[in-house]
Amino acid sequence: MNAVLKIENLRVEYRSKEVGQRTKLAVNGLTLSVSRGEVFGFLGPNGAGKTTTMNVLLGFVNATSGTARIFGVDVRETIARQRLGYLPELTYYYKFLTAEELLRFYAKLFRIPKAEREARIDSVLKLVELEAARKRPIKTYSKGMQQRVGLAQALINNPDLLILDEPTSGLDPIGRMKVREIIQRLKGEGRTVFFSSHELGEVETVCDRVAILHQGELKVEGSVDDLIHQHQCNLEQLFLKVIGYRAV
Amino acid sequence: MNNVFAVAGIVIKEMYRRKDFYVLLILTVLITGVMGSVTFFNDDKIVRYLKELCLLLIWISSLVIAITTIARQMPSERENRTIFPLLAKPISRGELLIGKFLGCWLACGIALVCFYSFFAAITVSREHHFYFLNYFQAATLHWFMLGILIGMALLGSLVFAAPSSNATICFVVATAILLVGRHLNQVALSMRGGQQAFIYGLYYAIPHLEIFDVRDLIIHNWSIIAWPYYGAAVLYALIYGAFFVAGACLLFRRKALN
Amino acid sequence: MRSTKAPLLLLVLLFILCFSLAAWLDPRSLARRQQRSTDVLGVLMGDSRKMFANHFFVKADAYFHSGFYPTIFDNRESFQTPHMAGDAGAMKDENQGEETAFMGKPRDFIERFNRHFIPATHTHLDQGGAEGSKAGADLGESPAGGVREILPWLQLSAELDPNRIETYMVTSYWLRKRMGKVNEAEEFLRAGLRANPGDSALLFELGRLYHENRQNDERARNLWELGAHHLQQGKPPLADSDKFMLSNLSLSLARLEESHGNLAEAINWLEVFKPVSPYPSQVQTQIDDLRDRLGEPAPQAEHEAPAH
Ligand SMILES: Nc1ncnc2c1ncn2[C@@H]1O[C@H](COP(=O)(O)OP(=O)(O)OP(=O)(O)O)[C@@H](O)[C@H]1O
Ligand SMILES: [Mg+2]
Repeated sequence: MNAVLKIENLRVEYRSKEVGQRTKLAVNGLTLSVSRGEVFGFLGPNGAGKTTTMNVLLGFVNATSGTARIFGVDVRETIARQRLGYLPELTYYYKFLTAEELLRFYAKLFRIPKAEREARIDSVLKLVELEAARKRPIKTYSKGMQQRVGLAQALINNPDLLILDEPTSGLDPIGRMKVREIIQRLKGEGRTVFFSSHELGEVETVCDRVAILHQGELKVEGSVDDLIHQHQCNLEQLFLKVIGYRAV
Repeated sequence: MNNVFAVAGIVIKEMYRRKDFYVLLILTVLITGVMGSVTFFNDDKIVRYLKELCLLLIWISSLVIAITTIARQMPSERENRTIFPLLAKPISRGELLIGKFLGCWLACGIALVCFYSFFAAITVSREHHFYFLNYFQAATLHWFMLGILIGMALLGSLVFAAPSSNATICFVVATAILLVGRHLNQVALSMRGGQQAFIYGLYYAIPHLEIFDVRDLIIHNWSIIAWPYYGAAVLYALIYGAFFVAGACLLFRRKALN
Repeated sequence: MRSTKAPLLLLVLLFILCFSLAAWLDPRSLARRQQRSTDVLGVLMGDSRKMFANHFFVKADAYFHSGFYPTIFDNRESFQTPHMAGDAGAMKDENQGEETAFMGKPRDFIERFNRHFIPATHTHLDQGGAEGSKAGADLGESPAGGVREILPWLQLSAELDPNRIETYMVTSYWLRKRMGKVNEAEEFLRAGLRANPGDSALLFELGRLYHENRQNDERARNLWELGAHHLQQGKPPLADSDKFMLSNLSLSLARLEESHGNLAEAINWLEVFKPVSPYPSQVQTQIDDLRDRLGEPAPQAEHEAPAH
């Protein structure tokens, strides 16, 4: 089996806070599989269920039904996350720590041996260009810098699978370029990247395959080239067509 | 265990980077110093009132430090969403909670070492005698009591959404137990029927924090507590602490995070 | 044009309002402040001062027992009168029952366990306190010195409620009797007398100080007589505590006069003592005894007098 990530018939319901409605269906019957070495773009309009799916993959939210596996291990097992890097969509990191300390803490959780640990921290900080600020508390960072810290912590364990929730949001054009480069480099190293994004141009350039989710349901899935050929339009037009957008 | 200690280290770091611990320590030192500079009837050997005052301040400070530190841990993890990158690491939720508990408990231990060192310095300077074992027993029993309290507040922080309400509840419960826990059985005697049964139930169920409050013994230089009883008290604290932490783990095990 | 002027005018108006308000408030707050500076505690605590004063007085007694003390939940029969006050002769001792076992038998295992973590023997500080109860204790100084530990609470109590006489009595007794601090005791008693002019109990204690510690019987006699006269001039049904103090004063005066050979005066004071003494018949025999020594005629007639 080559599938690094496998979702079958996933259904997630949230207990709704609105009156009269018992549950809110966030993901409905999603089946997906991502194989080794692929860069997979997970698309969909706001509220489509992308973050929810990722939350299931990381064990934050329990699936109402269906299964999700990473490296063939059920996502509820702690060990499933050993070779995984994750960048949440909106996060603040411990404000009282410096970037260096934060990464050291996470590296300890991955049981990276001490000797290797410092080298890894140096290399990821260099990658996200935070070396100058490494000894400053995170509370003094700008939004983009915090996003870079997030990227750094996702890469600290040299993961085989990266799950990134809107990695380029909040970054400047150079930062975005950098992220694109990082993704491409990881792909070159044979790693798998699963990420969500609203930047369709960027998705088109880096992704091998994409899936478009709408209202919790999978609408389109396939390789970027095939889809463009098939529909005779670019990704953005396809996206708008799938979600039923009509220009007024 | 590795994960537990890593999390505990972060909690300790947080405590000594925040200012409240220092503020309370300085306040204790200042108030005790001011009160110590008062002489009564030209007698400079009077010390027990000062011991009592200093210990009272230490107890209040330690309760404040312990409860506020642990009560904000999990809520702030969730509010700042730091829990997401954290739990995306190979760490189980139980390890996270135990790490939080341990970190806060150790941090309180460090704080107590500072506080009791000051206390010992004050008393030795006046009494010219260092009752090491007595102070050791008092400080460690105090620490184990905080262990129960931290467990309780940790559990509370998963039950009550707002950290401030949890802290307030824990503070009230702890004070109530310390003040009347010992006498609940007598209170029950003066009641009847269902009320009596309820108070008795409470009496047997609550963690008797007041056992660990041996301030009177060290203020008045009583002899040390017999070690078997000391050991039993420590065991008692460990059992209650473990009970609360286990409850917290159970509660948090399958909780959806969002 | 108008739109920019309006807020400016409003601002000026507001300033004027603020200043006039401040000018109006300032003298008032100053007056309040002066009032407060004379009596900070009074403003802060108001009427609860007496309650706190009592609390600290009892706390001093708890210290006297090294923390072995009944709470409101325990049997307090034997702690009705603070022992430090009873021992000092400052209050009439009304304690009864077993004082070492006010907690009773432990009612359950939790309570039994709890007893190992609280002071559990009855000791008095003037006899060495908790350390005196330790086996082979080396106190290194006179055991009575431990009593000093009750002093801060007594001082606090007196400051909170300057009209509480027992505080001065107890403090002075321990200061002069057990710690040799006669000057401090006198100063404190005089502070008490300033707050309670002519109080007979304070006069009695001050007299004792002169008699016992300064060997100045002349002043002792004056002070005691003053105290006794104050009580005798009071309205006939004397309060219990007044009776107790009158008995103290008259007996002390009688002893003083006896020791100076003024037997007639001594008999007079014993006659005052008799009605307020718990054992009038014994007093009577003492009076008879003194009369014998004076060579006066038989007291028979006086004895029978009330009967006729
Ligand atoms: N805790 C929750 N309780 C109830 N409903 C929720 C909860 N979290 C998300 N939802 C709902 O689930 C649906 C999917 O949300 P999700 O966050 O997965 O969207 P998304 O695809 O990540 O959107 P975006 O592009 O804005 O990040 C939305 O309709 C949202 O309102
Ligand atoms: Mg999202």
